[in-house]
Amino acid sequence: MKTDVAVIGTGLAALAAARTVQQSGRQVVLVWPGLSSLYFLSATVDVLGYPTATAAEPIAHPAEAVARLIAQEPTHPYARAGMNAVEASIALMLEWFKEAGLAWEGAIDRNFLLPTATGMPKPCCLAPASMTAGDLSRPQPLVFCGFTGYQDFAPEFAAANLTRQWGAADVSAVRVTAPGYGAERLFTSIDLARSFEDAAFRDAVAGQLRERVTGDGVRVGVPGVLGLTMPNETFAAFQRAVGHPVFEIPTVPPSVIALRLFDRLRKHLQEAGIEIIWAAPAHAADVTDQRCRSILLKAAGHELPVEAAAYVLALEDWVDGAFRAGVHTVRDPFFHQAIAWNKVPTDRTAESLFASQPFEEVGYALTDRLQPADVNGKPLARNVFCAGGAMAGYDPSGTKSRGGMAIATGYRAAQEALAA
Amino acid sequence: MPDTSTGVVVIGGGSTGAGVLRDLTLRGIDAILVEKGDLASGTTGRSHGLLHSGGRYCVNDEQAAIECVEEGRILRRIARSTVEDTGGYFVSVTDEDHAWEPRFVEGCRRTGITCERISVDEARRREPALSKHVRTVFWVPEDGHLDPFYLVVGNVESARRRGARVMTHTEVSGFLRDGDRLTGVRIRDSKTNEEGSIACQSVINATGAWAGLVARLLGVEVKVVPVKGTMVVLSRRLAHAAINRCHKPGDGDIVVPGLSVSILGTTSAKVPHPETLPIEWDEVRRMIEEGAMMLDGVTTARAMRAYAGVRPLYDLGAEAEGREMSRNFAVIDHQERDGIKGFTSIVGGKVTTYRLMAERVVDVAVRHLGVSTPCTTAEVPLNDRDEPLDQLRHRPSVLGVPKPHGDDPPLQPLLCECELVRPQDVAPWFKDPAVRDLEDVRRRTRSGMGPCQAAICSYRLAARLVTDRGVDGPSATRAMADFLETRWRGVRHVFWGSQLRNMQITTGLHMELYNVDRQLMLQPTPPLAEGQGGSRVVEPAEVAAQR
Repeated sequence: MKTDVAVIGTGLAALAAARTVQQSGRQVVLVWPGLSSLYFLSATVDVLGYPTATAAEPIAHPAEAVARLIAQEPTHPYARAGMNAVEASIALMLEWFKEAGLAWEGAIDRNFLLPTATGMPKPCCLAPASMTAGDLSRPQPLVFCGFTGYQDFAPEFAAANLTRQWGAADVSAVRVTAPGYGAERLFTSIDLARSFEDAAFRDAVAGQLRERVTGDGVRVGVPGVLGLTMPNETFAAFQRAVGHPVFEIPTVPPSVIALRLFDRLRKHLQEAGIEIIWAAPAHAADVTDQRCRSILLKAAGHELPVEAAAYVLALEDWVDGAFRAGVHTVRDPFFHQAIAWNKVPTDRTAESLFASQPFEEVGYALTDRLQPADVNGKPLARNVFCAGGAMAGYDPSGTKSRGGMAIATGYRAAQEALAA
Repeated sequence: MPDTSTGVVVIGGGSTGAGVLRDLTLRGIDAILVEKGDLASGTTGRSHGLLHSGGRYCVNDEQAAIECVEEGRILRRIARSTVEDTGGYFVSVTDEDHAWEPRFVEGCRRTGITCERISVDEARRREPALSKHVRTVFWVPEDGHLDPFYLVVGNVESARRRGARVMTHTEVSGFLRDGDRLTGVRIRDSKTNEEGSIACQSVINATGAWAGLVARLLGVEVKVVPVKGTMVVLSRRLAHAAINRCHKPGDGDIVVPGLSVSILGTTSAKVPHPETLPIEWDEVRRMIEEGAMMLDGVTTARAMRAYAGVRPLYDLGAEAEGREMSRNFAVIDHQERDGIKGFTSIVGGKVTTYRLMAERVVDVAVRHLGVSTPCTTAEVPLNDRDEPLDQLRHRPSVLGVPKPHGDDPPLQPLLCECELVRPQDVAPWFKDPAVRDLEDVRRRTRSGMGPCQAAICSYRLAARLVTDRGVDGPSATRAMADFLETRWRGVRHVFWGSQLRNMQITTGLHMELYNVDRQLMLQPTPPLAEGQGGSRVVEPAEVAAQR
């Protein structure tokens, strides 16, 4: 198989890179090692939620904060991507979402503050329109609503936490029964989402909500299960039936909100004729004279070489299986480089689960052009570029910046690949 | 906390203390168990779960081996639901092991352990994972798996049904005395520091590795040597039966299958204090290397976590150290030895012989009270009913405790998918005041003990603190975080392969989806919430009403 650019990865970085190449008019092939990391991680695009991993105050204006970060830390992935790439990638994704029929909101100059399933406000830059009515910078009272028997969103828990900041008068919790579901049946977010595809089911839930939620200007927070696809007009009709603004709150994997995004973008790429190679982990790169000639994929029962003029490695470090961690050594699947070594496995971790984790920072060392580099800073291959979690030296969890970093570096890596 | 009174105070909520409590109530004696942590939160819950046939002790520690043989048979009768009859193999892999074989065979013969040499081919047919190093194999059918949590909870619930009371997270801070006679204990809530007292006629110190520290409160010495043992949990069963090295007991020489996992054990190192149990990388490495000598797949299996427990070895004054020391136990009659009336200690021993230890110490303690009712714990089953108990995997509700692995039709809702724990399995514990945090729920239900290490179920459990107990949001969040941190402390030591991948889901979920790290920053130390604060004695009627 031959193409101009091969993009390897399943997350936002890979999608942004593929879209960038597609828009340039060149040919792109997407290689997916397995399930999308999007299913497991944040359902929103978090550009920069906090200036550091330990800062308590959320960022209101991400553009300014990212610019400051770039000025202060020249090796930060945002600095390597550049402010232009940060801005351009957000514009790229918003435009793409719109074209693909996904209603998303947000802009680089402001963060939403959206409640999580524990009731904690979380800053994020871009979010589905089905989530943004929950923005806590607005004063309207909130009612969290859960479903009987659904364990991954407890409205009482969310309300109990938000009450601390908002006062009990403005936050409350109710539960309704989704028809056919209850405490005696095993079901998941996906089951509920599938049921929400059905108009009669939606009406029945909306009817209960209308009855249970009263008061002027109240908005209703529900778990993020309102349909596998949820076209914009369906969501609008549901809100009308409820009689109040409704917002979704993302829940544990598999996250329906992320799945909705991923599946829509995937179909949109495929509709445009872009080839996607599924479930084929790469396990070697043929590099001669500092150029990658091809990568070898493990396809069903055979090896599939993919030849491209340039490659974008847009991987999450662990969830999608990009890197293999042995007891002491971490290896990458392309160059078979030992990209990290630890005397003892404990060194990959912080003492607290909630601290910045060294294992999140494992990844390729980079050149200024986002090429994976050896210990001396020389590129491992001149036509390979890196994006997303696979970059070394950065933990997006604490600063809430995984999505923003993914699309900015995905965009930038694709630009480099096009120029290579 | 209100002052109260009883006949006997039992200090320690491990297998021994739980056995003592039940033994007392079966003899018609009113008793309260006081435990500074949770039931089975010390040595018992950190054992490897081997129900000893006695084979590991039959050469060097004959008395301990004989007791294991007898007690193993008794437990299979009275505590059937906590035992899985896996059987065990003793395998030789080196010349030294080979030289040990005659002594092992002779030891089994002398102590009455059923042991049969089988061909390596036959052994491989039964256990295909045996390594190529294995040269000789002995089948020891009476090795088994003993669920330490259910054993303790089963004993305690049986005692509660007879009126015994339990105070968890309650520390004995001192003793009340009238001259040379103990008249009670001073207690303190470990979480709230509230103080109170229990008047009683007799105190039994069943605190194992902590026995010396408790005795010191009275100014008497009990020489207990705390010896650390580290274990590694693999996410699946590599063998059907327990696999022991046929040699002088040493590091990493046993692989115990328990429920859905295998546990590699153990190391042995003296520690200065029973709560100083650091896990060293060298221990973890050695356990895996040694385990791989006996079984294929040990190095490639998914390691889920490591943990360390402390053996409560009793110093009989001999020269022996650590593993060389006897696994035997001793009853110390402090009235006789130190002139303190109403105080008895039980030290040494092991989980397999907990019942016998309880019997012996209760015999001594109640003799001083003028009670001559004989012990019946070897006859009365834990469920207190005259009907046979099922094997572990069909753990029945007849034990009086919720079962973690339901035998009802499938596709019921699950709270913890890894360990197949249903919402109704955890619900009763949220009504039990002796259950104070999510770790306590875990010990009683296995929630959070599977491969994902509570990534998913921690939220569901924390939500129950809010819905079922009226706990406030910050406290529930803190409880969720503490629960995850406890899991994390074990996972960090085996941080590679699939478990590492899994933890990116955990951090992604809790830090990026829930933003828990920020929530913790905003609430350094939450005030104790309603339903959490204050310990109180659980009245039997109340317990009955809750079930």
